[in-house]
Amino acid sequence: MSADDAIVVERLVKRFGELTAVDALSFAVARGTIFGLLGRNGAGKTTTLECCIGLGKPTSGGVRVLGLDPTRPRELTRLRPRIGVQLQATSLPEKANAREVLELYAAYYGTAPRADEMAARVGLGDKLDRQIAQMSGGEQQRLALALALQHDPEVLFLDEPTAGMDAFGRRILWSEVERLRLAGKTIVLTTHYIEEAERLCDRICIIQRGAIVADGTPADLVARFGGDASVTIAADGFMPGADLQELGTWTKTGAQWKLATRGAPGLALATVVTNANGMNASIASLDMHRPTLEDAFIAITGETIGGTD
Amino acid sequence: MLLRMFLTQTKMNFVWYFQRDGEMIFWTLAMPVFFLVLFSFAFSTGPNSRASSFLVPGIIGAQVLSSGFWGVGVMLATFREKHLLRRVYLTPMPPWVFFAALVVYRVALLAAQATILVAVGALVFHVRIVGNPFEIGAILLLGTATFVSLGTIIGALARTTESANNIASVLSVPLAFLSDAYVPIDRFPHAVSSTLRLLPSTQFIETFRDVSVYGHPLAQYGAWIVVLVLWTLAGTVISARTFRWV
Repeated sequence: MSADDAIVVERLVKRFGELTAVDALSFAVARGTIFGLLGRNGAGKTTTLECCIGLGKPTSGGVRVLGLDPTRPRELTRLRPRIGVQLQATSLPEKANAREVLELYAAYYGTAPRADEMAARVGLGDKLDRQIAQMSGGEQQRLALALALQHDPEVLFLDEPTAGMDAFGRRILWSEVERLRLAGKTIVLTTHYIEEAERLCDRICIIQRGAIVADGTPADLVARFGGDASVTIAADGFMPGADLQELGTWTKTGAQWKLATRGAPGLALATVVTNANGMNASIASLDMHRPTLEDAFIAITGETIGGTD
Repeated sequence: MLLRMFLTQTKMNFVWYFQRDGEMIFWTLAMPVFFLVLFSFAFSTGPNSRASSFLVPGIIGAQVLSSGFWGVGVMLATFREKHLLRRVYLTPMPPWVFFAALVVYRVALLAAQATILVAVGALVFHVRIVGNPFEIGAILLLGTATFVSLGTIIGALARTTESANNIASVLSVPLAFLSDAYVPIDRFPHAVSSTLRLLPSTQFIETFRDVSVYGHPLAQYGAWIVVLVLWTLAGTVISARTFRWV
């Protein structure tokens, strides 16, 4: 923990009756960091986030956001104008339109209404006067993002921000996060989309059953847990000779040879191809696989992330 | 800044929950007039200012009750169930501003309802409002405060919109008929009517009627006013202690 930390969570426990949703979870988020809580549905991501914004009271442990304790009403009052939140479970009044909601939220925060600008930023420029009931789930999510951003907060909490969004919505959210990164904002986001975590986050905590099971940059997690890179080749007359054995471990399945390598897979691939050519082997198929965050996730948690949504 | 929050929220309440809701316009503006006309003829053979004079303040009083129970209590439960309250809770707007905006919006609707009922009563049924306008205003405000504070308890205790609806129905429908709003309770045996006069709704509606159309001085009803103030305080304390924003 240091003075540069925007968020500090220490031994956070949250129980709902018998169920322990969050189990002695600790992490700190440095200012200007995009921090991801990655895990399956029900892992405790949302509960953790809710404790950070004053929606849930920790059973034990502590949370500080910008040095303030969200469980104390006075400190929460000082915190609210400085954070922006996009929740999964929120609804806006059905008969409201986007322009009015943005105007109302500007009044809540005492800022100038920027309905046109915000709507354009989240791709709702032509839907400002459409009522919420007529907007798709993804459009409502983008409006919720605009409401989180309009008052230009220091810290953003985004709970499953792209759940239910189409590809267009996802691109918009991702480019907003990039813009916020450049502006030096701190972002905590929860997601069960590995690609999203890998692409957006400077740091990721993988959460399983309410506890952190791994923590690091995406590249670091892949390097530590992703396993070997591999090259697969199927070629008539191909046999890994002595110089190819040095690259790693070879296994054969049917007509297919697979090399598991710790080294740079690109270099290994080039060496394999050169050797195959030297043997006059005709290559039927050739593949290379770099370990991904998904491989790391499976290795760490022993399960796939599951569910597409 | 608080004023801007309050005014914007009040305006949006009006646009979202009234102006764009045809059903709401019908129930709040047309139905009470329909009741006035229907019951005025049901209780007499022709336009009769005696029945109508009874009904105009009675129906306004019943609207005060339902504003508190439905307009505030059930509305808050709905807002909670739809996760609207928790979103608002995350913003810097103090909860009491949100609450005040909801109440003021309902009071504005009540004023419109009362104006229409008084106008129809005067033009069609020759109902005359003879009481002191300040005393009429005072008892109306007190009644509104009483039933808003009691209605808020519904919004605090009901976990779902459905249960809030059920509680409000169980309370407000019998109250409207047993509190001298539509039907004179003096038609019941004395033991019954004097029991019914223990209800805050009866005390409010009778005081309001006697002051507005019969021109009685408000001071005659001192005991009932004290009781209504106590109900209001109790309702406020219970609501404030039990209300959950999230």
